[in-house]
Amino acid sequence: MIAACVKWVAGVPEPGDERFAGISAADQAAVELALRHGASMGDDVVVVTAGPPAAERALREALAAGATRAVRVDLPADATSSDVATALAGVVGDAAFVWCGDYSTDRGSGSVPAFLAAERSARQALGAVAVDLADGATISVTRRLDGGRREVSTVSAPAVVSVEGAVARLRRAGLAGVLAARTAPIEVRRPAVVVPDVAAIVHAYRPRARTLPPPHGSTLDRLRELTDAAAAPAHGETVHLDPADAADRILTALRAWSYLT
Amino acid sequence: MSDEWPQVSFEDRMSTVEFRVHERAHIVVDGAKCADCSTRACVVACPANLFVPTSDGGIVFNYEQCFECGTCYMVCNEEGAISWSYPEGGFGVVFRRT
Amino acid sequence: MDDEPDVDVIVVGGGPAGACAALVAARAGLSTVLLERGPFPGSKNMYGGVVYPRILDRLIPNWWETAPIQRWVTRRSTMVLTDTQALTVDYRTEAWGKPPYNGATAYRPDFDHWLAGHAEAAGAQLVCDTTAVGLLRGASGRIVGVRTDRPGGDLRARVVIACDGVNSFLAKEAGLFEHTDAKHYTLGVKETLALPKEVIDERFGVRGREGVDIEMIGCTSGVNGGGFLYTNLDSVAVGVVLKLPKLAAQQLRPEEIIARMKRHPAIAPLIEGADLKEYSAHLIPEAGLAMMPKMTTDGMLVAGDAAALCLAAGIWLEGVNFAMASGMYAGEAVVEAVRNGDVGVEGLAGYQRRLSETFVLKDHRRLRRAPEIVLSDRVQHLYPAMVAGIAERMFQVDNPAPKPRLRTILKQERKRVGIRRRDLARDGLDGLRTFG
Repeated sequence: MIAACVKWVAGVPEPGDERFAGISAADQAAVELALRHGASMGDDVVVVTAGPPAAERALREALAAGATRAVRVDLPADATSSDVATALAGVVGDAAFVWCGDYSTDRGSGSVPAFLAAERSARQALGAVAVDLADGATISVTRRLDGGRREVSTVSAPAVVSVEGAVARLRRAGLAGVLAARTAPIEVRRPAVVVPDVAAIVHAYRPRARTLPPPHGSTLDRLRELTDAAAAPAHGETVHLDPADAADRILTALRAWSYLT
Repeated sequence: MSDEWPQVSFEDRMSTVEFRVHERAHIVVDGAKCADCSTRACVVACPANLFVPTSDGGIVFNYEQCFECGTCYMVCNEEGAISWSYPEGGFGVVFRRT
Repeated sequence: MDDEPDVDVIVVGGGPAGACAALVAARAGLSTVLLERGPFPGSKNMYGGVVYPRILDRLIPNWWETAPIQRWVTRRSTMVLTDTQALTVDYRTEAWGKPPYNGATAYRPDFDHWLAGHAEAAGAQLVCDTTAVGLLRGASGRIVGVRTDRPGGDLRARVVIACDGVNSFLAKEAGLFEHTDAKHYTLGVKETLALPKEVIDERFGVRGREGVDIEMIGCTSGVNGGGFLYTNLDSVAVGVVLKLPKLAAQQLRPEEIIARMKRHPAIAPLIEGADLKEYSAHLIPEAGLAMMPKMTTDGMLVAGDAAALCLAAGIWLEGVNFAMASGMYAGEAVVEAVRNGDVGVEGLAGYQRRLSETFVLKDHRRLRRAPEIVLSDRVQHLYPAMVAGIAERMFQVDNPAPKPRLRTILKQERKRVGIRRRDLARDGLDGLRTFG
């Protein structure tokens, strides 16, 4: 089984407005990759969301696009990421691969995939910018590193992969699919966990105020100090030489000061 | 009436409207016909200001911020210079308070 | 060729016409698909401000309890403007502020979405994000469905009801319009401006859900057309309607014409300090009977703006009610036709009959000359100055000079503005015949 998990957000930017509700481009990419992956493996694709009944619209869109079945875990929209992951894990327990978007249209921290991988003791490849489904059993995932570098990982089942929105575009559902999906059954599960009151247990970290000494010296000096400009070694000497010797001298000096190698 | 008024820029004006842009242009302009056109009605009439004359006598247009009203092809006096169809389903302008 | 229908009825377009057509068809038990090219019904729609929903009494009893309206229009003004003058006829009544109400301001993305929701609740299958790109024809040439832009997008039906709006590519493809002419259309351009509710209540002299609708003439910088200004709950909408050929033949852009109108001394204080919330534009089929298409062909009907059913008769500016009514009657005729097993022109004749017997075509017949009169050059460019001039001289106290006789003022003002007596008499008679 291949799974895709999506988050339904009602009303961006107008909260609660179902006309402007939906899933993120990243979640759409996740659905598309799950569909491709399922097709390449000849496997079922299940699409899961944890959210209120209105979220079923996203599931129907996925069904219309070709998902085999859809499950909604009945959770309030403000459930915590770990509770959402626990609830999702209960549904996607035996999926070889779970595809997620790496941000939702509201909070967008992309933490659910990590929680989900931990919950299932599965491998995780988060924030993929490119995916090669290869033979399907082992896939290759490209991720961002600092400085514009990329990391390519080979991932085998069981794994949770989260993808950026540009990785794939969700296919346009066929008309027959759309009409059939309107009445397709959607399995609804009640979460096993009791959702704790978030407000009661979470306190925002607030660093204590501390007193700093007043700044000393001129602004320019402080700036120099901060930028190391003042401490920079003073390079420079005046010599009188023939042009050829002068050129050699300059090159030697530049090498010595590490401007040339 | 005075000729100055506190106005929002056209860019700001259009930024109040949501457009979901598809990669296919739903407006097609036949540049050869525009080069022969002397009236340039689309330039003044298009409420989204999508048609801009160029110095070499042509017209450049964009389709991204189109209200899908149909004014351009209606006022165009060159038969078929502007052909127009609706954008792909789900794309194009999305009104909220109209 | 497989002509077996997938459904009984396809309604193209989720606006007020389409929603009512689908509502009626679905309620009668016909399998009905309602296609909407936007992400939700109403997302492509914009208008000049007032909906008169009484026609919904039959479809949605007590519609006013759930309809997402902004304000009930209890004050209706008509303004005649020159650059520096304004003559206003203002009417207000408590009656329009209570059930069953009269007109209401509403955001179309709200109202149309609500109305289509009723069609869906009645069993119509609403399919959004789907553009109908063409018609399917059977072996006999009869229309048997539509092609949509989705993969595998052909959908077959016994009847297609085209409610696809003012540009109706389907009605044109079906050959229902002999020709379309820019002179039959106006461009509506509108700004929705945010103002706090209390400020609106104070400036417009209303309370609670009471609202104001102002129609204007002489405010469109010489382009034949008109202006409007109306109140939503916490915004006002201000805009102009411009006759296409006249707009195309001059140099002011639509937003500049709005900007000039907004600076008029009679308008500026009403909207001062308001921030632009949304700018929008739409075409209006303005010419009424003169531009109407054939309403039916074998396997297809056309309703709403697609059938040019928009009444733009100067002091009466209505469209959504005509759309809702024509959609409803199209739905009824289709139910009849499908039951009788004849969906050809003959079988669908009940549609034309219903339109003819009700306000939909009766109003249009009675007022068939109104759009032309209202948008004529004299009414647009000369009469406002004459009327405002008469008012100014009637109410101006020029002591020690005695008050001039009204007859004298009339004559002098007519001459000042440059209207021939013959034209004035003829226009007066035309106006009386049309509006009287």
